[in-house]
Formats: sequence, structure tokens, C-alpha cells
Amino acid sequence: MGMLKNSHNLQTVATLTVLVLMSAVFASFSDRFFTVSNFQNVMRNAAPLIIASCGMTAVMIARGLDLSVGSVLAAASVLAASLAVAGFPLYIAFALGVSFGAFVGLVNGLIIAKISVSPIIVTLGMLNITRGIAYLITPSAILVGLPGNWSDLGTSKVIGLPLPIVIAALVAMFFHVLMSQTTFGKRIYAVGGNEEAARLSGLNVSRTLILLYLLCGATAALAGIVLSSRVGVGDPNVGIGFELQVIAAVIIGGTSLSGGEGRIIGTIIGALIIAVLGNGLNLVGVEPFWQWVAQGTVLIVAIIVDRQVQDGVNRANK
Amino acid sequence: MGSSPLLEVKGLSKAFPGVQALSLVDFDVNAGEVHCLIGENGAGKSTLVKILAGAQPQDAGSIVLDGKEVSFNNPLDAQLAGIACIFQELNVVGGLTIAENIVLGSEPTRMGFFDKGAAQKIAQDLLTEIGFSEIDETQICGGLSTSEKQAVMIAKALRQNAKIIIMDEPTSPLEDAEVRKLFNVIQKLKSAGKGIIYVSHKMREIDELGDRITVFKDGAQVATVTRGEANSEDLVRLMVGRQINEMFPEKTHTPGDVVLKVRQISGPKIRNVSLEVRRGEVLGVGGLDGAGRTELLRSIFGADPVRQGSIEVDGRNIPLNSTAASIRAGLALVPEERRSQGLIPVLSVYENAALVWDEYPDRRASSDPKPRAIGDVISRLNVKTPSLSQRISKLSGGNQQKVVLSKWLLAETTVLLLDEPTRGIDVGAKREIYQIMCELAQQGMAIVVVSSELPELLGLADRIIVMNSGEIVGELPGDTSEEEIVALSMTHGTPSTRAQNEK
Repeated sequence: MGMLKNSHNLQTVATLTVLVLMSAVFASFSDRFFTVSNFQNVMRNAAPLIIASCGMTAVMIARGLDLSVGSVLAAASVLAASLAVAGFPLYIAFALGVSFGAFVGLVNGLIIAKISVSPIIVTLGMLNITRGIAYLITPSAILVGLPGNWSDLGTSKVIGLPLPIVIAALVAMFFHVLMSQTTFGKRIYAVGGNEEAARLSGLNVSRTLILLYLLCGATAALAGIVLSSRVGVGDPNVGIGFELQVIAAVIIGGTSLSGGEGRIIGTIIGALIIAVLGNGLNLVGVEPFWQWVAQGTVLIVAIIVDRQVQDGVNRANK
Repeated sequence: MGSSPLLEVKGLSKAFPGVQALSLVDFDVNAGEVHCLIGENGAGKSTLVKILAGAQPQDAGSIVLDGKEVSFNNPLDAQLAGIACIFQELNVVGGLTIAENIVLGSEPTRMGFFDKGAAQKIAQDLLTEIGFSEIDETQICGGLSTSEKQAVMIAKALRQNAKIIIMDEPTSPLEDAEVRKLFNVIQKLKSAGKGIIYVSHKMREIDELGDRITVFKDGAQVATVTRGEANSEDLVRLMVGRQINEMFPEKTHTPGDVVLKVRQISGPKIRNVSLEVRRGEVLGVGGLDGAGRTELLRSIFGADPVRQGSIEVDGRNIPLNSTAASIRAGLALVPEERRSQGLIPVLSVYENAALVWDEYPDRRASSDPKPRAIGDVISRLNVKTPSLSQRISKLSGGNQQKVVLSKWLLAETTVLLLDEPTRGIDVGAKREIYQIMCELAQQGMAIVVVSSELPELLGLADRIIVMNSGEIVGELPGDTSEEEIVALSMTHGTPSTRAQNEK
């Protein structure tokens, strides 16, 4: 009884173990790794990834996929930055940036759910469109001349914690509660696990999907604003390949590619594994190109391990 | 029983291009009644069920539910009106718990949040109501047996206040004990005043359950009889329009030399299995679901892992764990899951039949050119298809199965392994498949057939081996009784096996 629940816990323990082992290895190679400042640094770096991965987790549990998050991140951040340069109050610039992401997600969701086009194709198209929009907003490469308080969101601290970390934690908590404690959350699993059953149970499957893509777009945009606020510029080149990091974090965290399974806690660990990997390799002095190789390898290994664990549990079940 | 029926269908008609699937059908169901639908595939019963379930619109005719005329645009409409369908492909969500599945679509909430406690209470009450109180409602649905999933679906139907419950061949995936349980549930639903429409091919079930029985043939309703008015023979005659005294052809084949020798093979689901099959012999394999029968056939064929032992065909050891080697040695497997394992739904009849022919040129059973060889086999097996280029998924189950057989008859097959070869196939086509099997045995082919239908084993097999927990627990002659097979199926093997089971 409850074997599958156990398999979730097992999964969490397994990914957590990988994170701890990886940290231990890096700590043994570099004494700068296990310091408070580096820890905060890792977390700050991981924050945009965690934020965007939360939205992606929900979409992927519903058996969807959003490849446009990297471009949405860029477009939303340069949109907010250019509004700030134009003299809009920051909160309005940020809110419009996030709304832009939500709008892109809405369009994704409408096309995917209402016209039944494959999410890969729709969001791949949207990846190009929004990247184009990012360059259209800031033709002159990097946007400078931002107001002084632009960086507050990315650099200030709340109760001793960097604000990006607090924002990521709040977003993660929101999604965790949404998915585990609400009716809507149950429906996400139902839509991803067995769409026909969901439909026959009276669920509005397309509305669920549209809302999920909207949330995913919004989290990607929020991630973009947090990122550009921390970096202090609006850069249309930011976030190229970010969608793959996000998807990797979600999959490493144990969300099934075929939908119906996955948890936010797993995704957070997945995002941390990616962040620690990047940070650790930097500290150890590995060339950036090798970091791509390492990230890809971790993703593939995670999927293989996941498969083995799943098979093991299935066998034990019988 | 009320004065007017719970569900009343009048003058229902439905045409598909080229076929009148239903013509002017009148049909009704009373509260607290089981109304059985029987008929060969294509007789119209599944069209009726689909219309009632909202999956297809009717061309003409009316549906009156509880005194109100209703019309359905989609399955959801039908469900909301109170018609629930327990289809063969069970619509449960594997990743959610039983309780979450049962309340899905009408979840209890507390302060806007999903109320887990209330959901579990609702689920447990409903499961208890249908006699499945032992199911733990907090369990994830993914690991449930088919029988338990059916229970979840029935509980869910009750949660949605279904008045009419349609069951389409609910027992085909079940073991005998589970069938008993389902029948108890049906009795409970009856006494709760639900109307039940029960579609089945199995005469024994209809005898036991049916308060009334409606027979369909060629899209028309031939007769509606109340219990006791007609016996099985009469019903079959009504269905096929001819008397089938003998469902099974006479066993005229005579076993020759041993052609397949399996020695002490073991794998994840089978232990120390040895058996021999002779040319021209039909060996039946009995046992409960999960006894390892499917795995045995798959292991012999090289599709499931074999860790030790040997398999000999025609006096030569064949390499283990290789389907290619098995095919080259003359083995053939007709798997249990026809749609997912036996055929490739998107391909045509011709392409499906040609799969082995194309892949193993040296094993071809005929020197004719391909179109002719395939055409011959397809017509020899009497496959009913408009053309060879027809998509195989458009054919009825029986005809699909014949195409799967054709694939192997186009190769030099000496040992045919059949796993539930007639599951979900109508009576007429079943008989044809039995006929084909007997002819093949007569021509000297060795046949191993796994079947959960005991009359089928008894009617076909020269010998019957019975499995339990991955082992052969005994062998019976072909003229044994159903009781003996059942008794043996329940027997456990060696103490070591028992210890394994109890873990």
C-alpha cells in the first residue's frame, strides 16, 4: 500500500542525496564553496530558475511543455527596463513585465488547448516571436540608464535574506499549496494523468491548460525581472537556452515527461542541483563550455536513475 | 419497480457510411433491473451504448430518462444526466489517490481548499456501499488491479448520482473470484434502484444476471426476453441466426513427435517451467490471472527474460532471449493485447500481414509473389475487409485477430503460441478462430493456448497444464472438467514458492 507515495519520497531522497554529494565534492575541491556568501550567491543565482521552474512543473504535470520561457524572460525584463527608463514607476514597470509574460502564456495556452496544436510547436514558435520582441524593444543591444532603484529587487535583503531568494520561496510555496491543497491542483494531475478521465469527470480541460500556460508565462517573466534587477541592466540576449535549464530542473526533480506526476519540492532540488553544479564548476575553475556538457550529462543521468528507481518500485510492488 | 421505465429509447436509428448500424430500436431499462445486451460484433449493441453514453449522436429517435426527453452532445452531458459508463478502458487517473479519483469533478472543499478528509470519507462510504470496504482510499490508483479500478469507477458513478450504469464487457479482464465480487456489486446497485445495462458475450453471465435480455442482430433488435423465457441455445440462435450446437470443432488432430521442449526455464515471473508439445497437438495453459501464463509464452518466444534453462525446437536448442532467433526457429506468438502488441493500428491489413514476411525473407512459407501470398492467406482465413489496403484498426476484433494469425501463417511456423486468442471477440468469429486452430493442428502445427475461458480450454486442448505463481502445478487431460482446472489453479506450488508469495 502507498508504494507510489513511497516512490515519491524515495525520489526526493535520491535527488537530495545527489545534491549533498555534489556539494561535498565541490567543498573538497574549493574552500570557498562552503561559505555563507557563496551559499547566498548560489541561492541568488538559483532564484530565477526556481521561479520559472515552478510554472513549468505545473505545465509539465499537465502533460504540456513550454519552450518559450527563456525568450519570455528576456522580453519581459527588457520591457520592464525600458518602461523604467521611460520614467514609469518601478512597480508599474514590473507589473507590466509580468503581465506581458502572462499574456504570452495565455496565447500559448489558447492555441494549444483550443486548436489542439502540439505544445512543442506552439511554444517553439513563441520562443522566436518573443525573442524578436525583446530585440525590437531594445535595438541597441543592452539597455542602460536605468533608475538607481532598479536593482533593489535583485540586491536588497529582507530579514537578512537576499530578496530574490524570498521571492523564489514565496512563488514555490504558492505553487506547492496550489498543487497539493487545492481542487485546481488535483485537476492538474488529472489532466496530465488521464485527460479523457478528466474530461469525463466534468473538468474543463482546456481552461485548466490555458491557466497553466498563463502561470508559466508569468513565472518566466517574473524570473526575468528578478534576474535583470540583480544584473542591473536590461539585456535582450539574456536567457538563451534558459528553457532547457528549466526543463532539466523539472525533470531532475522527478516530474514525469508523460505527465501526471511530479512535485514542487522535487523541482526546487532539481534547480538547486543545476545552480550548485554551475557555481561549483566555476569555483573549481572548469571552463564554461564544459559546464554545458556537465549540465546535459546530469539531466540524462537523472532520467536514467529515475527510470531505475521507478522500475525497482514497480518490481517491489509485485 | 416504477410504473414507467427509468430509461426509454424509442425508434433509435443510426447510419454510418455504407452501414445501417441501428434501425428503429426500442429499448428500455427499469429501476433495479439488469438488462443484458447481446449480439455479435457489429450487431449494433455498441452503437446503442455509445449513443446512450453521449459519444455519438443518433440520426433519429428519442431517449427519455426519468420521464424527461434528453439529448447528449458529448459524454459529459450523458454523465450529468445520470448515465455512467464503465468502459473496458478504465478512466482512472493513475497519479491521484482513490479518494481523489472518486470525487474528481465534484470535489469537496473547505475554505476554498481541497478537503482531503471529506473526500476520503465520501470515498470510503461509497466503496463500503458497493462491498469494497477493504480498499484503502488513500492509495494511489496507479497500482490497482482492474477489478479495483472498476470498483473505483462504480463508486465514482454513484458519486455523480448515476441512475443508469452501463457496463461493457466488464468481466473480460477479471478472474473468477473478481467476477463474483462484481456480480455482488451489481446486485447492490440493483437493490439501490439503479438501472443496469450489461453488455457481454458470455452466456453464463447473462443467465445469471439478466432480468431481461435484448438480442441484437445486424443493427436491429431481434428479441427482448425476460429471464427464463429462453435458454442459452435459443439466445445464440437468435444472435447468429443459426444453431451452434457445437461451438468447438471436433478434435480430429493426432499428436506426432515432440517439436517444442522447454526445460527448466526461469525468469522474473516464472520458475522452473518444463513442458513438451507435439506436432499436431493443442496444449492448453490454465491458471488465474497473474499466474505467469502470459510470461511463460513470452519467455518461450524470447520476449520476456529467461535467466536459466533451455528451449529446444525440432531437436535444436535455440538462443534464449531473442525473438528473432525464436522466429527463425519457427515459433510464433499471438499476444494477449491485440491492439497494443499484436498489430500496428495505423498500418493496413496488407502491411500488417506482411510484417514477418518482409523481415524474415528466409522464413517465407510460400514462394508466391507477396501480394498473392498475402491475398491467399487473408481469404483462406475469411478475413472480412473491404480491401487489403483498409486500415486494420477499422476491422472488428475477430478480423484483426485473423490478420495477426495471417502474419504468422505467411512464415514457416511450427509452434504457435496463442495468448487469450478470442478475448473481446464475438461468438461467430470465435468459432471461426477455433476452426482455424484445429485445422492448423491437423496440418501438424503445435499450438500452445493460454485462455481464461475454461470452456475454451476444454473445447480445444488435448492436454491442459495449470500454472500458479509462475510454476506449473499440474497437468490434466483434455477431457477434464472445469472444476478440476479451477481446483488446480488455486493450488500452490512448492513451499519455496509459497514463501516467496508471502513476502
